[in-house]
Amino acid sequence: MPPPTNPTPWLRTFALRPRRTARVAFPIHNASLRHNSSTNNPDALTKAPKADQKGPNMQQQEHVSEEAAQMAKIQGKEGPDMDAGTPVQEIMAEEKDVKKNAPKVVKEEMKQGHEGVEARTETAVSGGVGSGQKRGFSTIARRRMPELDAGGQGQLDVSMIPSKAQRAVYTQDALSTEESKPGHKFPLPTTTPTHKNERLEPILTQLTNLIMRDGKKSLAEKHVAALLSTLRTLPAPKYSETRPLLPGAPPASHLPLNPVLYLTLAVDSVAPLLKIRSQRGAAGGGVALQIPVPLGLRQRRRAAMTWILDAAGKKGTREGFAQRLAGEVVAVVEGRSGVWEKRQAAHRLGVVGRSNVMGVGRGRR
Amino acid sequence: MASSICLRCLRRSLQSIESSHRAAFSTSASFSAAAPPKKQGAPGGTGARPPAAGERKALRKRIVLSNTNALQVEGLEDFTGDKLVRHEPGTVTLDKFRGQVLGLDDETVDALRALESFKSTQAWSLFRRPATLIRAETAQLANQLANAEGDGKEVSRMVIYGSPGSSRGSGKSVMLLQAHAMAFLKDWLVVHFPEAQDLTNAHTAYQPVTTPTGTIYIQTHYTAKLLANIARANQKLLSGLQLSQQHRLPIPVQANISLSRFVELGAQDPDLAWPIWQALWLELTTPSQSESKDGLQRPPVLVTMDGVDQAMRSSAYLDSETNPIHAHDLALPRHFMNLLSGQTKLPNGGMVLAATCDSNRAAASTMDHCLARISAIQNNAQPPHWDPFVAKDAKVEAALKDVQALKLPGLSKTEARGVMEYYARSGMFRHTVTEGMVSEKWTLAGSGIIGELERATIRARF
Repeated sequence: MPPPTNPTPWLRTFALRPRRTARVAFPIHNASLRHNSSTNNPDALTKAPKADQKGPNMQQQEHVSEEAAQMAKIQGKEGPDMDAGTPVQEIMAEEKDVKKNAPKVVKEEMKQGHEGVEARTETAVSGGVGSGQKRGFSTIARRRMPELDAGGQGQLDVSMIPSKAQRAVYTQDALSTEESKPGHKFPLPTTTPTHKNERLEPILTQLTNLIMRDGKKSLAEKHVAALLSTLRTLPAPKYSETRPLLPGAPPASHLPLNPVLYLTLAVDSVAPLLKIRSQRGAAGGGVALQIPVPLGLRQRRRAAMTWILDAAGKKGTREGFAQRLAGEVVAVVEGRSGVWEKRQAAHRLGVVGRSNVMGVGRGRR
Repeated sequence: MASSICLRCLRRSLQSIESSHRAAFSTSASFSAAAPPKKQGAPGGTGARPPAAGERKALRKRIVLSNTNALQVEGLEDFTGDKLVRHEPGTVTLDKFRGQVLGLDDETVDALRALESFKSTQAWSLFRRPATLIRAETAQLANQLANAEGDGKEVSRMVIYGSPGSSRGSGKSVMLLQAHAMAFLKDWLVVHFPEAQDLTNAHTAYQPVTTPTGTIYIQTHYTAKLLANIARANQKLLSGLQLSQQHRLPIPVQANISLSRFVELGAQDPDLAWPIWQALWLELTTPSQSESKDGLQRPPVLVTMDGVDQAMRSSAYLDSETNPIHAHDLALPRHFMNLLSGQTKLPNGGMVLAATCDSNRAAASTMDHCLARISAIQNNAQPPHWDPFVAKDAKVEAALKDVQALKLPGLSKTEARGVMEYYARSGMFRHTVTEGMVSEKWTLAGSGIIGELERATIRARF
């Protein structure tokens, strides 16, 4: 095996990695400001904005075993088994440099011949069955942490307020009216989709179709257009401390100027990660087995939108449907909405049923 | 011959009609009928009380002129009076601002709001403050306004229109609004009929009045409303003018009452509205005494009507023989048509403008033909012929015999760029305004129809 380029490959074998930063500033002002930029990549919101502006764990190299497997594949050899992790000791046995630079604790462990260091897979949810080890990390536990200690209603998180420099950059980027691309006789072709069904953001199409009743799509489109203009004119929301939005949310004052982002932020923040599938007869004795199933992006958004639409429909206010819907979207962003409880409940059920996940995987049905 | 109905049964059935709480026949249900029994609350409903009468309409028609989220546009110049003065013969200073957006100051905005110049379908609610694009036709209009103030007191009488079916959102109503704004800046008196439809769709009370030329129908409530608008919008100007003649009015009026107060009298009482309207117009059409400064001074008058196609055919009102009443037999539309055709002169100068409405277009084929004909003659083209198998509306033809026609085309690309830059600087349009982008949107907007341009750029792109 050729020597890996990573100087500290032993670090890769630990499941405990730094958590993604809570809020990466400004993912929004990316180079192309076209609304459609997210069409092909609906996850764009959660990604880092610029190539030179990386989050703390975004420059990771491949896992050492993956690298070895790829290398072996190129060379036509049989690489390591990718289903199981590679113990540190195994790597250190082969790599002299690594062994030399390893921390003292690891060296001592090696000497004692202790076999405690067991490789884990990256995901915290799937690990820890039957090994009797302590769980080092749980995404759900972390997510609920800020709620539990939400005693002090102080000021907003510093990261929510844009710095002066950020403001300047954002304004410059978003509002420049100068010609781009000098040196070309004609502007370069844009990669916007040309098919009529793809000209809108996927979230708008999905919302329109969810609002539509009796096949009256133009009426649904009217509602969505009214929703977006209402979001434009309502006062900027105040972020809640207890309900963190997606990492990388822009400063609240910028949301009304980008209503599609406003809506996307609300929907994606409150979208559940999983749903419960009831497998009849799997638990034995006629009891349905509650199996948490991860959801795809569209499914997650669908669940969130349905909740938001339900909540808006139940409002007893006098305004039109679009105004009520806009009010609910603002409530979600401000953390006032009851939709957050629904998300929490869905996740709690997922936690309760998480031991059922592996049971199905073994083909017990 | 024995009757087929037993008399006793007939009487009983008549009795039941008379004693019923509801009138036997009435077109005005809300006046005659008793209130319907109250519902006990819909099962499973939210329990909120139903909206009051007119509440939802008020919400729908609400005019919002500001959006605090929108960015303040730096370097936005105001539409001021000094831009309306003669620059060179044939042009005004405003000509230099073609393709730019100019803001409206607060005083003008208040007056425009009082006149109901703003419409809820226009995108005023998205920007920090009202501002309007100066297009080539605006500069042309400003020039005509300047002509009306000159020595000749040349009164332009013009119909602003677009080709039927394809000119929706081309800026006809905003053109009227710009005319109002310019007239305010020049201290003209402005009278505006916001919707001709409101006058002709039989939603407001009417009553016949016999005149030497035949029966006409006055609409007292509408007149009172119109007088209220005039009083509010022209408050400053009217309070400086006084009644100068003796009028035959139902109530005694102080001889030197200010016109503002006089108009308000009519606005308060619908029964007084029509005589006061007539007296007001007698005052306004009295020539100023230009030789002496202390003599009578009367301002130029701008009279406008939006959606004029609704007033160019039979109205929905019926006369005593249940024949439809022609819109020109209603007193207020007739008054406007007399001004438009030039039958009533404006000796102090002024302008008469009418705009058609394409989103709720009435079938007024005579008007369409007349406008097409005028337009062809203006452009030295062959005028179209009237279909001899269709009846021509003589009243409409007479009204449009001697008017100008202004067919509003789409914006030029320079103008489109100007307005798109304003959108971008307001933070509503989130793209870089490039040549390609302007061309794309201009084309999507049907060669620069400004309403469509607005939809393509700042509304959701459905």
